[in-house]
Amino acid sequence: MTISIPALAEQLKPYVGRSERSDLGVMRKEMFQRFAVAADNLNPIFFEPEAARAAGYVDTIAPPLFLSAVRNWQSGPPQDSLRPDGTTSHEFAFLPLEGLRIMGGGQDLELHAPLTNGTRVSMELRLEGIELKQGRSGDLLLIKVTQIYRDDADRPLVTCRETFIAR
Amino acid sequence: MHAHQLCFEDVKRGAALTPLVKHPTTVQLFRFSAITWNAHRIHFDKPYAATEGYPDVLVQAHLHGSFLYQAVADWAGPRARVLRFGWQNRGIAVPGDVLTCTGKVTKAEDGTVECELEERNQKGDLCASGWARVELPRRG
Repeated sequence: MTISIPALAEQLKPYVGRSERSDLGVMRKEMFQRFAVAADNLNPIFFEPEAARAAGYVDTIAPPLFLSAVRNWQSGPPQDSLRPDGTTSHEFAFLPLEGLRIMGGGQDLELHAPLTNGTRVSMELRLEGIELKQGRSGDLLLIKVTQIYRDDADRPLVTCRETFIAR
Repeated sequence: MHAHQLCFEDVKRGAALTPLVKHPTTVQLFRFSAITWNAHRIHFDKPYAATEGYPDVLVQAHLHGSFLYQAVADWAGPRARVLRFGWQNRGIAVPGDVLTCTGKVTKAEDGTVECELEERNQKGDLCASGWARVELPRRG
């Protein structure tokens, strides 16, 4: 499968500035506690309500990177629709990025409020901009997105800015 | 282990954060991929990772970020609030590496501090760099 990166850049232009909002479901403490365990961060504010209250929170909170680290909140694509390297562009919902290899390499997070057990979360994904670049091994497309995670009262929890490299 | 609490009055520009040392393992990488629903084979399939030229499976971008976040949050203490945090991956890390997260305060003003962060492996190679803005409680 060959995809022309400059052609894709043209195709993506009308999407710049557009956003789409999706429901990520109800967050359970068991899930964010597993994330904390996997990250080897056993801070009691993630596990013990008393420790969280002593720190000024109403209940145990999620590690702040949890929301923006999870790649997919639904079942995800079946195995035979993953690429040979196991990746997918499924998480970019409304953007026509099928067939591209997309890599992230860091994020910039504004942490507005903590995530607690039982919160229903939505995520707004906005395409901020695209930039065509010449890499050592050919054309690259830099895809700048903002993801805003909000709770069920529409309060922002995390704003995540990230630039992906597509090739 | 997390009882320590830093107060704004304790911090000056140029102060060093308490270093945090991490020893990522293949089991840790597997569990991190599982909980983030990340099927990218470079993180759990060593023969596949070799086809992309890597010596072993790679520590995930967000695991580097999580280590740097923990370094700043543990240093600041549970009553501090990290308002902004970011990181950029700069180099690979594999199981068996010893990753040391360090940082220094670049600004201390009006109850908040800004920090620059680094994660380096046992050879001193930069694996990730980061930044944070943290609100600290006042003493008393």
